[in-house]
Amino acid sequence: MNRYRWFLLLVVVVGALVFSELAEQPVLTNADKVQRIADDLACPVCDGQSVAESDVPIAQAIRTEIARMVDEGQTDNAIRADLVSRFGESIDYTPQKSGLTGLVWTLPILIGVIAAVLLMVTFKKWQSKEKFKLAFFGNKRAMTIMFVIGVPLIAWIAISQFTGSRGVSDTATGDIRSSTRTLLIEAQAATDENKVVIYDEVLTIQPSNVEALAYRGWTFWRTGNFEAARKDLSAAIEIDPTYPDARVFRASQLFSDRDYVGAASDLVALDSLNAPPIVWDLVSASNLRERVASALASEGNLVGALQLLDSGIDRNAEDASLLAERGWLLANTFEISLIGAAIESLDEALIYDPQHPNALAYRALVRSVLLEDQEGSASDIRAFQELPDPPELLVQLLQSQGLLG
Amino acid sequence: MTPLRVTSAVVGVMMLILVGIMATRDSGNDRMTTYLVGEAAPEIKAETLQGELWDLDNQRGRWVLVNFFSTTCVPCVKEHPELVKFSEDHERADDVRIVTVSFSDTETAVKEFFELNGGDWPVLASDTERVAVDWGVVAVPESYLVSPSGFVAAKVLGGVTQNYLEGLLAEVQTK
Repeated sequence: MNRYRWFLLLVVVVGALVFSELAEQPVLTNADKVQRIADDLACPVCDGQSVAESDVPIAQAIRTEIARMVDEGQTDNAIRADLVSRFGESIDYTPQKSGLTGLVWTLPILIGVIAAVLLMVTFKKWQSKEKFKLAFFGNKRAMTIMFVIGVPLIAWIAISQFTGSRGVSDTATGDIRSSTRTLLIEAQAATDENKVVIYDEVLTIQPSNVEALAYRGWTFWRTGNFEAARKDLSAAIEIDPTYPDARVFRASQLFSDRDYVGAASDLVALDSLNAPPIVWDLVSASNLRERVASALASEGNLVGALQLLDSGIDRNAEDASLLAERGWLLANTFEISLIGAAIESLDEALIYDPQHPNALAYRALVRSVLLEDQEGSASDIRAFQELPDPPELLVQLLQSQGLLG
Repeated sequence: MTPLRVTSAVVGVMMLILVGIMATRDSGNDRMTTYLVGEAAPEIKAETLQGELWDLDNQRGRWVLVNFFSTTCVPCVKEHPELVKFSEDHERADDVRIVTVSFSDTETAVKEFFELNGGDWPVLASDTERVAVDWGVVAVPESYLVSPSGFVAAKVLGGVTQNYLEGLLAEVQTK
């Protein structure tokens, strides 16, 4: 009969534990959920008050953020994990039940249980060894006691593991905005191979992520997977025509594909966007605009070339490289009416950068060949010769015209 | 060894583990000074006082000092002239830019403050609660140096001076 009482106790204890953790909660409104979560988080700057109770600005901001996340449909655990990741575990009134923090929960219980068991063993040992054996191993009641202690303990530990909170990077319930953003920044420092893996991961979470598409396309392009690159870059621009990085990547791709009109179109579109400095640095360092303009002019599309250069000059009126290229293209028409505009453009380039090698070389040529101003040309040549590391192509150009020895 | 001694030893070891865990965990203060450092900067996308959209992602390629501020906070008011000097010194090189994120303040008060005290960098003053929570801001002023690649390189709790910021910038740039 006693044995049944023990089993009844076991059922009640395990049932209560499992029920309390897994039982369906009553239906709550979003406001109730906000209140419940805010009640369970400590205000980060005020002692002894919860986020729900405190009126300091950060507590108010956290309440607003909780409400937004609840409205978005995020789970309590995801919201709690997100806020704990930002403000630390000290704000969590219910610390995690897994990992190292879980030990804080389990160790005291384990200590208690081990102490109880060993004490029991000690007491038994005080009796005769035979009695002990009988009492402990031969007695079903003693085994039942161990069972009653052990099973709830194991159940408790198991439940605590499964009810732990999720991290924000867990995309099943986490914040997509945070997780993809972190991945994208991590990709910047990754090898090309890993970049593609990370971008794939981002696109699995969020297939319309334009940054991942554009940068995966660019990585494909640089590593020779041209078809995949074309597909990704076009898809990125189709999704968001205002994403500047995709525009510059595709302009570069189209230039390599000898689609100069398409490349110019992307660069002109880029000029109307508020692109970050790194994008302009990329355009400038690669001389992409000048090369596209030069290619257009060589195809006879001088108007398109000048429009492309003027679009860049409108954005940055002090860009000596663009002004020099513009002057050179105008001079190459050999139209008397355009020579003035050409020399004006070259003069302007040298005002903003007196040591610009292209501007010096081009003006020397224009002055010598078209304006027969040998003195002015010689002055430009001297300045060009004083440059620490003049570009070889310009040296060859000047040599071919007899301006350099 | 008697069971009683075994019990004492086991319990003692477990207590030591527990104390060890507690003692070696970051305190709240340690965490406050290091949170976000070395991690990707959380998103900042909000309207400036001039009504233009400002996006931290558009600053890639240069350093950004993100300064959380309120006109009602005395250290914020005290550090402001230092920020103005820092901004002016870097204006020509354009190697670092400041953005102010006002927190728990009114747009009008922030606008008046900047008109009176100078500072021509972008100031975000509306709907900034989310930004503050994303960045784990506990109390203003707080400042963060964001690297050109978008990582938080340094975090400063409390007011800053121009010299301190110059030193910090030089330090993180050499890392």
